[in-house]
Amino acid sequence: MKNKAMTRRDFIKAASVAPLAGAFIPALKGQPTQAAAEKVKVVLIRDKDALDAFGTPNADVIQRMLDEAVTTLLGEKDPVKAWKTIIRPEDTVGIKTNTWKYIPTTTQVEQAIMRRVLDAGVPEGRISIDDRGVLTNPIFKNATAFVNARPARAHHWSGMGSLIKNYIMFTANPSAWHGDTCADLAKIWDLPHVKGRTRLNVLVMLTPLFHAIGPQNYSKEYVWEYKGLIVSRDPVAADATGLRVIEARRREFFGEDKPMQPTPHHIFLADTRHHLGVSGEDRIELVKLGWTDGVLI
Amino acid sequence: MAARPTDQGRALASFIPAEFTGWTIEEDQVFDAETIFKYVDGTGEVYRSYNMKSLFARRFAAKGKPVLVVDLFDMGTSADAFGLFTHDLDGEDAATGQGSTYKGGLLSFWKGRYFASVYAEDETPETKQAVLGIARKIDEAIRETGEKPALVSMLPPEGLQTKDIRFFHNHSVLNYHFFVADENILQLDQTTAVVLASYGDKDVRSRLLVVRYSGVAKAEAALDSFVKAYMPDAKGAGIVQTEDGNWTAARRKDCLVIIVFQAPSREFAEDQLRWIETRIGK
Repeated sequence: MKNKAMTRRDFIKAASVAPLAGAFIPALKGQPTQAAAEKVKVVLIRDKDALDAFGTPNADVIQRMLDEAVTTLLGEKDPVKAWKTIIRPEDTVGIKTNTWKYIPTTTQVEQAIMRRVLDAGVPEGRISIDDRGVLTNPIFKNATAFVNARPARAHHWSGMGSLIKNYIMFTANPSAWHGDTCADLAKIWDLPHVKGRTRLNVLVMLTPLFHAIGPQNYSKEYVWEYKGLIVSRDPVAADATGLRVIEARRREFFGEDKPMQPTPHHIFLADTRHHLGVSGEDRIELVKLGWTDGVLI
Repeated sequence: MAARPTDQGRALASFIPAEFTGWTIEEDQVFDAETIFKYVDGTGEVYRSYNMKSLFARRFAAKGKPVLVVDLFDMGTSADAFGLFTHDLDGEDAATGQGSTYKGGLLSFWKGRYFASVYAEDETPETKQAVLGIARKIDEAIRETGEKPALVSMLPPEGLQTKDIRFFHNHSVLNYHFFVADENILQLDQTTAVVLASYGDKDVRSRLLVVRYSGVAKAEAALDSFVKAYMPDAKGAGIVQTEDGNWTAARRKDCLVIIVFQAPSREFAEDQLRWIETRIGK
């Protein structure tokens, strides 16, 4: 690939997502700046046995992957002890899942999370798993803690179906958040019934969709068995890492740099505009565990 | 959700076969621009961007075989049916309707004011034949044909990448195909008609953007906004050499704003502007 000079389109694009790039173009001054901070930990774990021959998640393997990821993330050897550092017995816990028909969060991931929330001492009656009913679900309405779990996938309007986007069901009118291809989804995380409640984010990378086509937004041709989970306290860092994997897969599949369309800028704006988390690779401490074949990043 | 017995739904349903080589109707649904989110979540914004009127969705099932899905849109105008088709041009030509593509189990085509998508949830040689067969049945049933938007016929032919012509209305779709700026500096909305075309090969690719506004005053304001934000260093000349050595030029004529991005030379940019200007009103 030949070296290309950075154009004003590149500058403008960078200025929209990177704090300092706007300084290059007078018309774009005034972008927020962000002080350097400690790196955010993200754990990527993969297991070649995560799926069976039919593509169904292996529940035991998924539980083991989640446990290893969470203990590594939280620096606690025992998974139950690790979960107890983020979930208290007195919590009311909503596990925000995603039920998209082609690639859901999966029951196996939901149940692995459920088990550890129970182990942390929360009674079953104060735990619920839900997606589209979160606004009316009494457990979610009274939740003191959320665990956010959803699959990563290419998306025709937001660029990527992300952990950040998974909270759109916490709004009464989701389509009101579609402006500028979902640029400001991170603001949802500031809503009173959401803010500060998320204890863990699990980006499911078992069978990501790396390219979206047609009204159904799906084709098996553009799904691959990555057999991974990305786990972090920071949804933006987890999404940015998942995006790197998907973009790498696109390069591998298409044989050229084929950026996501539209650009999933809501992930970067969640960092630079809304300060929900960090998106820059240089700000993320990525810990990779398990199966390394085809890890891509 | 059962299909509502609306006239629009019935009209669209009449174009779709009720059975095809063993596949029969599993479910029919009808949506409009407000309810489409119940069917395809946020992806519905793509169809709303092209002013969709209604969608008839039919699922076909056959024992032991993958589900087939037909999504047939009434877009209201042939310009918007064509525009929606140009939103995703990847794939092989399927020789259906007035333009078609096939890839990954999905066949899309436009004809008249209709845009159709026929999709197999699992692609096999048998489902590919069924997808092609159903699409052709729909194509035959739709008797009307339509014109491409007039802006498309104004494009300079020399060097034009004919498989990379997009027609749309708004800022989000512009950035989908060719990022210009996060802010809507061209003041595009659902009333603007936009054509974006590519010229040259992959390594030296310029873009020609032609926008038709609803009036001269709007076009003037949009050009002013664009120049201030994107090429303030042009200092009123309407053309500037950018950081990568290419040229960007912008001009208004009547209610059109014409912009050339990444032109390899000043002459190329100016020729393209002139070509469009000479075709206004023809």
